[in-house]
Amino acid sequence: MTPFSLVAPASVDEAVAALRSDAAAGILAGGTDLLLDLDEGRTRAERLVSLRRLPWRTLDWTGEALAIGSTLPLRELEDDPDVRRRLPGLWQAVRAVGSVALRHRATIGGNLGRAAPASDLIPVLLTLDAEIELVGPAGTRTLPVDRFVLASRRTALGPAELIRSVRIPAARASAYRWQRVRPANDISQLAVAVARVAADGGWRVAVGGIPPRATLLPDVAEALGRGRPTDAALRAAADRASRDVALVADRRASEEYRRRLVGTLLRRAVADGLGGGGPA
Amino acid sequence: MTAAPATLRVNGATVALTPVPDDERLLDTLRWRLGLLGTKEGCRTGDCGACTVLVDGRSTLACLTLTHEIPGTEVLTIEAAGVDPDLERARAAFARASALQCGYCTPGFVLALTGMLKERGRDAPADELLDALQGNLCRCTGYAAIARAVAALRAEAP
Ligand SMILES: Cc1cc2nc3c(=O)[nH]c(=O)nc-3n(C[C@H](O)[C@H](O)[C@H](O)COP(=O)(O)OP(=O)(O)OC[C@H]3O[C@@H](n4cnc5c(N)ncnc54)[C@H](O)[C@@H]3O)c2cc1C
Ligand code: FES
Ligand code: FES
Repeated sequence: MTPFSLVAPASVDEAVAALRSDAAAGILAGGTDLLLDLDEGRTRAERLVSLRRLPWRTLDWTGEALAIGSTLPLRELEDDPDVRRRLPGLWQAVRAVGSVALRHRATIGGNLGRAAPASDLIPVLLTLDAEIELVGPAGTRTLPVDRFVLASRRTALGPAELIRSVRIPAARASAYRWQRVRPANDISQLAVAVARVAADGGWRVAVGGIPPRATLLPDVAEALGRGRPTDAALRAAADRASRDVALVADRRASEEYRRRLVGTLLRRAVADGLGGGGPA
Repeated sequence: MTAAPATLRVNGATVALTPVPDDERLLDTLRWRLGLLGTKEGCRTGDCGACTVLVDGRSTLACLTLTHEIPGTEVLTIEAAGVDPDLERARAAFARASALQCGYCTPGFVLALTGMLKERGRDAPADELLDALQGNLCRCTGYAAIARAVAALRAEAP
């Protein structure tokens, strides 16, 4: 690791200005990814701009829609009773990140900013039609998650731009299921997120835990139909998922194992999304 | 790189630190600047929990926290056992259940447990207390004795 200096601007304007003045500066939120990336030489920066003084540790409900400030520690998101009640899929995904101690510092902005293929939050945010609000030299703009996360560790973030918040519209149902060797501090071999957004009542399905990035599976969602899927529809959707998803073998799991997992996790997530409960 | 003074409260005492490099981790500040060697370094990558301390009452991985990112906070380490009542309860529960052998992982486990007692209260349910320890690894005692320590702590909850 090369040594770096740290600045902690007191306002958004100052933060953007600090990033403009040094194109190679890094953005520091909780640091749970960035400090490791610096240690291991995956990222180089001689200067870090810390977001800790910005007023973004927020959680705002407007009716059933939620806006999450990018620097809110994940533990605070998980502790909001309305998140658990109204967005159970998000709650389950947040609980899957690292450990309690990690979540006291890790943020949603950092999770999106890193855009890891293994992210537990991106699949759920995809199914919930979440939008990312960005702020930068040219003002603010909003992008759907699907257009923000481009590839493994690549996002649409422009120069000197920051993630300000994540907006999630009302959802009728949501669930997240993962499989991994160690429950905490491990990377999922595969994960499936499902949701029914209030806008059209249709299902959304996304798969995560496999490179290059989490992806929505519109054909699988289509196969589920509207509302409560019949057993036949559920089987068709699970088959479709294990056929369609581009699975890879790596040291975490074989392709064959993942292929079986897709359908299993999909069935569990849908059952849970319908209020059937089941193991977390 | 720059360095500036930093002020923290550590185990109840205010410590004014002479210039601390911007990239210094809380783990190194505690161990090498303050000589508080009870906080351990296992992996330095967030995976083992050996470096767990409390920052304003919340369990925190000292290896992934920059000292300058937590100015003015209250840091609690294993050296405050006997002083902080929650920490003392957690420590005593580990000792009574013989939940340690080499002891390297123990300060991290005890602080993670203490953090949950502060977060959820002294009568926190057993599943929350165990959840607090998911990020901690022990290579020699095994987890059964550690789970017994948690169960005993739960049984004596007020
Ligand atoms: C032991 C361990 C276990 C983990 N387990 C999981 C897991 O199970 N699931 C999972 O999904 N992740 C996991 N992670 C990864 C990580 O903790 C999460 O991705 C976390 O949410 C990152 O947030 P942060 O605030 O710490 O990010 P930081 O490290 O501060 O930042 C990460 C990246 O995002 C950029 N960034 C941060 N905030 C912003 C912003 N507001 N605007 C623009 N760019 C920004 C940074 O420049 C950096 O490139 C784990 C990490 C560790 C060390
Ligand atoms: S040394 Fe910090 S988690 Fe292992
Ligand atoms: S007691 Fe030796 S590692 Fe846990």
